[in-house]
Amino acid sequence: MDRTGRGVTLHAVNDVARDRFRLRPGQSHADARAIAPDLISASAEPDEEVRAMEALAQWFERFSPAVALDGSDGLYLDMTGAAHLFGGEEALLTEILARLKAADIPAQVALADTPGAAWALAHYARKQTCLAPAGGARDAIADLQVEALRLDEATVRLLARFGLQRIGDLYSLPRAGLARRFRSDEGLALVRRLDQALGVEAEPLKPQRPPPDWRAWQVFAEPLLDIDGVAHVLPPLAEALARQLERDGQGARRLALDAVRTDGRVVRLAAGLSAPSRNPAHLLRLLKEKGLEHLDLGFGADALMLTALTAEPLTASQGELEGDVRLAAADTALAGLIDRLQARLGEEAVRRPQPVESHLPERSERWLPAGPRAPPAAAADPGRPRPLLLFDPPEPVEAIAELPDSAPSRFTWRRAQHKVAKSQGPERLSPEWWRPSTVQGPHRTRDYYAVEDDAGRRFWLFRDGLYNREDLEVLPRWWIQGVWA
Amino acid sequence: MTFQTFPIAPVALPSPVSFEEVAAAEPQDMASAIGFGLWRALEAAGKDARPLALIVTPAFQNERGRLFGWGASQWGLDHSRILLVRARREAEAIWAFEETLKSGAVAAALAPLEAPSFVATRRLDFAARAGRSSALVLRTRPAGDLSAARLRWRIASAPSAAHPLDARAPGPVRLTAELARSRDGRTGVFTLEQDYETHRLRLAAGLADYGLAAGQSESRRVA
Repeated sequence: MDRTGRGVTLHAVNDVARDRFRLRPGQSHADARAIAPDLISASAEPDEEVRAMEALAQWFERFSPAVALDGSDGLYLDMTGAAHLFGGEEALLTEILARLKAADIPAQVALADTPGAAWALAHYARKQTCLAPAGGARDAIADLQVEALRLDEATVRLLARFGLQRIGDLYSLPRAGLARRFRSDEGLALVRRLDQALGVEAEPLKPQRPPPDWRAWQVFAEPLLDIDGVAHVLPPLAEALARQLERDGQGARRLALDAVRTDGRVVRLAAGLSAPSRNPAHLLRLLKEKGLEHLDLGFGADALMLTALTAEPLTASQGELEGDVRLAAADTALAGLIDRLQARLGEEAVRRPQPVESHLPERSERWLPAGPRAPPAAAADPGRPRPLLLFDPPEPVEAIAELPDSAPSRFTWRRAQHKVAKSQGPERLSPEWWRPSTVQGPHRTRDYYAVEDDAGRRFWLFRDGLYNREDLEVLPRWWIQGVWA
Repeated sequence: MTFQTFPIAPVALPSPVSFEEVAAAEPQDMASAIGFGLWRALEAAGKDARPLALIVTPAFQNERGRLFGWGASQWGLDHSRILLVRARREAEAIWAFEETLKSGAVAAALAPLEAPSFVATRRLDFAARAGRSSALVLRTRPAGDLSAARLRWRIASAPSAAHPLDARAPGPVRLTAELARSRDGRTGVFTLEQDYETHRLRLAAGLADYGLAAGQSESRRVA
């Protein structure tokens, strides 16, 4: 049911309602209840429908890489030059219908030269499969109602008033007259739709997912029921994909494995690579790390597709000197390692530090997601001793100093007391007033001290705020920022 | 620490091997243990320019702090050679450790681990040798459990050496490294001191001189 401004109307009906009670979509719910008192109805969920259709569109990628959605109840498949792969056009339609029936999805299928003609035949031919031979679209749709041209209601009404009921009636009429009479808000709707159906005007399809440039796929006579089966057939797929990539001088940066299940769903496993690669063994390992064993095959998958979603140029490397070769091998090994770690631990798990321009210790380096090459350093060495371990953010400590602005003589950190034996400082660092403060409170100058307790442990403490100058709002406080070896 | 248990003074530290365990004598000595581990890893790497990996868990980072690249560069490890791997749990960390070692992409890998099983340590040893890298397990406490590590160290911080210019300031880093177990049965206690110029640790002669073994030249005594 749909709730519209004019009351509750039927959104879709099943076979029984249509054939026995002659109910049709668009009818008001009250009328339908009058005809069939024990009608069972539920609210329409358009979002769900679109989602289901999108999933089905992915599943149809087994037939053609270019699948476009038509509203929430239809799909266009661009089968140009591909029907022979399925044993001809007739066999293709039969196979589509059989597979949809196996997945319990009622459907009508038509194949024609143009999307317009195919749409017309699928919707109005009153046959489950309908095939217009090449060049035969004009004859095939001549007997259909004019509604089959995908027209708006006003145009259809106007056509009825002129007594034009079949598409064939329009063929003999002068185009100029038609164009003038049936000028609607969208322009020359009727003439344009007619031209699209007959192939005079091109109608580009917008695929739901852009067809990938590099794709290897395989269909199986018997569905694969377990992951072992999938793992067994993956190597040839990976090699086929690698060959395609090599032909174009590319390496995959993002890889996806789609398993087309018998129940009309597609499950996907995607993995990213830190550096382009087309090494089949590496691609396979990556998929395994990413969780191949958790792929839900349902009642079996009967086709597998391995796709390079994104690729980058990868030139075959040939080092001239022995040193170059070894360096390149180490780089490849590192890229492979980073990929495997990221596949298992998460995309952000592997990091490399980049020194950046900032005096504040916690901002003086950034940890960037790792690639095989180290990020370029953007700052010079601070030239002062720095601790091995850093607390970011700093942790508060209780410290006692002999003089308000001298080094601490003892401090308590994590409930342990430390007596300071040696200390050096202060190293005075100005606040970065143009950025938010990393410790609680206003921006204040930090005085850093390197202190050593009587057991020989070395800490990096700082006092946040200068006495007599920055202690107006909050008294200076002590923090620990790091620990030395 | 009692010196009596080591009747023969160690002459030099055993050279680095493929798999060592470095334990902090007390949890607070962890930074010293990491510093020592880094030094051993760099010694093992020698001229090998491959990166060094540190595998950590969030629990470790929250408790002990995160690696500071500028601090590591003062131990001779440049920013460009650091690879940090964050694992969520210890089991993942062990997996990542093994994977990193056997990939052949790193010169060495360090990972703080709580309680690796003996089997896990055996695997790490094999992985390290397969990848021509060295593995260093860092422990927050010394443990007597079984391990395949060829050398087991126990590291404690020691009061720093005298600062050349300022008597009240901490001087060059010193730490005590106790070789608790080795394959060839050799044990010993070494007091090491960091050389600021070369970033390397060396025997702190003044303190480590427990007496000379027979056949040692006199020159060490004056060092």
